[in-house]
Amino acid sequence: MLIPHPLLGPRDAQEFTYLGDARLIDRPDPSAPDAEAAFCDYVFLRDNPAGVHRELWFHEQGDRSWLVVTRDTVTHEVLGAELARNVALSRTRCGK
Amino acid sequence: MTRLTGGLIDRSQTLNFSFDGKRYQGHPGDTLASALLANGVRLMGRSFKYHRPRGVLSAGSEEPNALVELRTGARQEPNTRAAVVELFEGLEARSQNRWPSLGFDALAINDLLSPFLTAGFYYKTFMWPKGFWEKLYEPAIRRAAGLGRLSMQADPDTYDKGFLHCDFLVIGGGAAGLAAALTAARGGARVILADEDFRLGGRLLSETGTLDGGQATDWVSALEAEFESLPNIRVMRRTTVFGVYDHGIYGAVESVSDHLPEASGRVRQTLWRITAKRAVLAAGATERPIAFADNDRPGIMLAGAMRTYANRWAACPSETVAVFTNNDDGHRTARDLAAKDVQIAAVIDARPEAKARGDYRLIAGGMVTGSRGRLGLKSIEVQANGRSEWIECGALGVSGGWNPNVHLFSHHRGRPIWNESLQAFLPGEDGPPGLIPAGAAAANFSTADALRSGAQAAKRAMDELGIAASSPDLPRAEEADYKVAPVFNVPGKKRAWVDFQNDVTVKDIKLAHAENMRPVEHLKRYTTLGMATDQGKTANVTGLAVMAELTGRTIPETGTTIFRPPYIPVTLSVLGGGDIGRHYRPRRLTPTNHWAEGQGAVFVEVGQWMRAQYFPRAGETHWRQSVDREAGAVRSAVGLCDVTTLGKIDVQGADAGEFLNRLYCNIMATLKVGRVRYGLMLREDGFAYDDGTCARLAEDHYVVTTTTANAGLVYRNMEFARQCLWSDLDVQLISTTDAWAQIAVAGPKSRALLARIVDGFDLSNEAFPFMACAELTVCDGLRARLFRISFSGELAYEVAVPARFGHALIERLMELGADLGATPYGTEALGVLRIEKGHAAGPELSGQTTAAMVGLGSMVSQKKDSVGAVMSRRGGLAGDRRRLVGLRPVDPAGKVVSGSHLFAEGAPRKCDTDQGWVTSACYSPHVRSMIGLGFLEKGDERLGEVIVAANPLEGESARLLVVPACFVDPEGERLRE
Amino acid sequence: MSELIPITALGAALPRLASFGALEIRENVGLALASLALRRGTIGPRPFGLTLPGPGRWIAGQGVAALWTGPDQWMIEYEGRADLGFAAELKQFAAGCSVTEQTDGWVAFEIVLRAGSRPLEALLSKLINIDLADFGPGRARRTGIEHMSCFVIRRSEAHVAVLGARSSAASLWHALETAAKRLERK
Repeated sequence: MLIPHPLLGPRDAQEFTYLGDARLIDRPDPSAPDAEAAFCDYVFLRDNPAGVHRELWFHEQGDRSWLVVTRDTVTHEVLGAELARNVALSRTRCGK
Repeated sequence: MTRLTGGLIDRSQTLNFSFDGKRYQGHPGDTLASALLANGVRLMGRSFKYHRPRGVLSAGSEEPNALVELRTGARQEPNTRAAVVELFEGLEARSQNRWPSLGFDALAINDLLSPFLTAGFYYKTFMWPKGFWEKLYEPAIRRAAGLGRLSMQADPDTYDKGFLHCDFLVIGGGAAGLAAALTAARGGARVILADEDFRLGGRLLSETGTLDGGQATDWVSALEAEFESLPNIRVMRRTTVFGVYDHGIYGAVESVSDHLPEASGRVRQTLWRITAKRAVLAAGATERPIAFADNDRPGIMLAGAMRTYANRWAACPSETVAVFTNNDDGHRTARDLAAKDVQIAAVIDARPEAKARGDYRLIAGGMVTGSRGRLGLKSIEVQANGRSEWIECGALGVSGGWNPNVHLFSHHRGRPIWNESLQAFLPGEDGPPGLIPAGAAAANFSTADALRSGAQAAKRAMDELGIAASSPDLPRAEEADYKVAPVFNVPGKKRAWVDFQNDVTVKDIKLAHAENMRPVEHLKRYTTLGMATDQGKTANVTGLAVMAELTGRTIPETGTTIFRPPYIPVTLSVLGGGDIGRHYRPRRLTPTNHWAEGQGAVFVEVGQWMRAQYFPRAGETHWRQSVDREAGAVRSAVGLCDVTTLGKIDVQGADAGEFLNRLYCNIMATLKVGRVRYGLMLREDGFAYDDGTCARLAEDHYVVTTTTANAGLVYRNMEFARQCLWSDLDVQLISTTDAWAQIAVAGPKSRALLARIVDGFDLSNEAFPFMACAELTVCDGLRARLFRISFSGELAYEVAVPARFGHALIERLMELGADLGATPYGTEALGVLRIEKGHAAGPELSGQTTAAMVGLGSMVSQKKDSVGAVMSRRGGLAGDRRRLVGLRPVDPAGKVVSGSHLFAEGAPRKCDTDQGWVTSACYSPHVRSMIGLGFLEKGDERLGEVIVAANPLEGESARLLVVPACFVDPEGERLRE
Repeated sequence: MSELIPITALGAALPRLASFGALEIRENVGLALASLALRRGTIGPRPFGLTLPGPGRWIAGQGVAALWTGPDQWMIEYEGRADLGFAAELKQFAAGCSVTEQTDGWVAFEIVLRAGSRPLEALLSKLINIDLADFGPGRARRTGIEHMSCFVIRRSEAHVAVLGARSSAASLWHALETAAKRLERK
């Protein structure tokens, strides 16, 4: 597979390690009253879609960027990739 | 049979080779099969199950029959296809699966037993007694049925791998591939042209048709010269593209020295990973046989292959040949062979309307219904117009039509589409993105069509890539029509082979049908059709057609053939990539590695690291003598241990403290500059993850350590936290593991020793207390870091210097510490010391334990959030009452074995009475007995109790006393002296 | 200077140098390295007058050079300064940046081609999965060589540097040497 790194262009997937669902960026509020339930959901429950999936890849043998890669799990078509840091920052700004 | 005229062989040179010990001669340009045929050898192998005599069927990588063992000794290679083995001087080949000889094979008895050996026979026959399968039936069957033998020696050859990138990959160097490559290369694209043959041209080399009125090989040679002159095209001969992977990545194997008598230092094969923006599949087509009674005798071969042998290699299996065909192409074989003065006994065309294309006897509307000749064809039975006759011939060319080589197109589960008029599966619409089929692979069977489609495919690819390319002037070529009748199988009572390599006949398919194994996937597995090393290249479509006939459905209704990588058999050695033994994977060496080697250290692999395990001294005959001595030196004097392998991560930035607060379960932000704190990380699920130390070098600068095993993972997690969770924090991370040689200096005399190397630095307990750290210089101005931390429980330090000075530093410490008893110690003594002190390490932080379990529950700060904090408080984890305890045998000579499970005395040893397990154990020179650490249910409340450690694996158990998990200096006074 | 005598990453007193046909591979023990990362609010540091390059690029000045290693992160190289505390020197040119000494973290192998250009490309194609058409002078990438994480820098048409973890210097040398030797035999 090739991952279209937003800064470095297409890079072979062998340079990356895979983590999983990009929802892991959305860490729950630890001080919320239902924090334990929210964390339980965050840690253990994942969607496993046959189709478009946003997922986290780490460019370990590269620039050490975490990427959010949008990939169709059925065709393996990669629809886009962004720096996870930018995704996280834009959510913070939106007051997620 | 001697050589015919012509051919693309170099008759000025002779190559000597042997087959089954007999000497023969061939010429450069020959394959093993062509040279054998030219020497009159038709019999080349025995079949898999029935041990039927077999000859070569094809002239390419689809070959199912002519499998031979090549070379000798450790280089012996089984199951090589004689049809693609390039002849070289001194080649030695042997036939396979026969005993005592190819001509007389004792196991040919299997052929007489064939009624008992039908599809699925072993599922039915060898059912009982149950125990017989593994011990008796399977070994016997494996001996009787089989292919070549392995040498059973290590492979002495070397293998390579590499990476190539291009705009346009051309798979196949025949007419279509050459036209495609030419179009793209002239357009300036970066092109790779890969062809499995040792000579470019594909079927152009097999045919007599002209290009622009000249020889096709002249046109090919001119193109080769042009390619040679262009910097943007790479021609790779002997290179088979075997698999298509995601996003334009292709796997290919190049035979680098397989065709040479002596590899003379060259690699044997190279595995290429090719990344191509676009590719053309110009892999040609494979002819299929027609199933008729006894259609597997040596001398019966594919008509197109027979033509190839005659035209390209000037070889023919017999002076008299016949052709059996259901399409126009078979006639071409008769015409070409006649032109080479081979006698054509008859052309049998299944189509009643067929017309002769030359001066030969045509039997239109005829069928071959049988054959004779034990070790080679003697005659065939032909039925036509209600009459039957036997025709004498030494070879029969069979053409059941051509199957486009859609294999690579199916590698992403793309389904080929049945074409009724061509009676073949064609590439569908859902092939791998970027891969364009052309030429015969896309059913463009005439040379002119193949050339045009190749150029068009390249043009389309160039358009998509935005490269301006124009179609080149293509040479005039034959535009012969191809008409085929749906004849796959001649009805009859005797066995008619469909899959030659796995001995699958029409009868077997009928049996599968009768037993309801009708879906194509069942058919395949029940009969083993298409499951041999040739993957059914000549068999699958025929098998499908026979099943369709039996079920009364159409071929597409019956199923499709789908293919997976690899297209040809690929050696595991080349997939393995090359380096074996010491270089199998990278090794990381510590800065004192060479010094330790000089000391005679014994090393142990810790991940990629090579660490000194212990340092045996003269007179020590057992590793424990060395380890006891080393541990004792640390307890009584001073020991030195390279701890460079611990991960070191530099954490800087205005929010570095806050960042570490969120990563570690305990508080790091309040750590004073010049101080170190032990830190524990949890996983987000609340379990304990990794431990280490945090040293604060400045307000905005920390150095944290990780365990050796988790160094990479912890760094990855820290980057995740930095980039994805708390991207608003100002923090920068970088690994410095390799930059510093870090040496533990441990023991009551460690301060005295260090005082001899520091440059005017106050090491007194007041100035530099336990858990202090500092940047300083040692040995006259060498920049260094000093940490007063202890893993052994003794007064101890870790000193770090730039890695290149590690070697000199340990030498200097040993020299200066000689009078203090300075002793190097390895990982084994390190382990003993930490077990004695009760420090948790890998076995305790196994990913299934909590901070509370290892006795660090109070470290999990309730005042702040950190990774895993919320989940560590959930009931299931907080309620876990297993605690880390120390264990010692009641009998001082008794054993403690890690992995043992703990039970109350007298309790049954079952899962529901299990009370914990032993995590670490060693002999403790300090306690003078074995000791252990373990997790025990309510262990903190059970000190003094005797429990049983059960070790059912070794049939042992031991009574152990539960003690605190610290055997040395429980008050920690030595650390703080 | 300290009286301690350093050894090379390959464990010798002197740097290794070997030739394979037109290719020369040299262990560069004089190269000083330090990482530089921007902190919040820091803009446009120009250490030693260098304009820090963008993603995938390397830029050289007089004896000093910088390569992009990640977003807002660079590695600064200084030829012949390995003996000094390079981070301390760099810090003076990089106010408001996080600077970390990296000299001893890496082994640097300079691969120089004495004639032609094809052998260099052929060598790289056996080592790294990078499109060489996009790897001309001034390009630098971190990637894997035989499972070792390395920086590969195209210093010029005929000169490539490979920086690998110091601890795996011997394995990296083996990888480079093996590939170079095989090229020689072709």
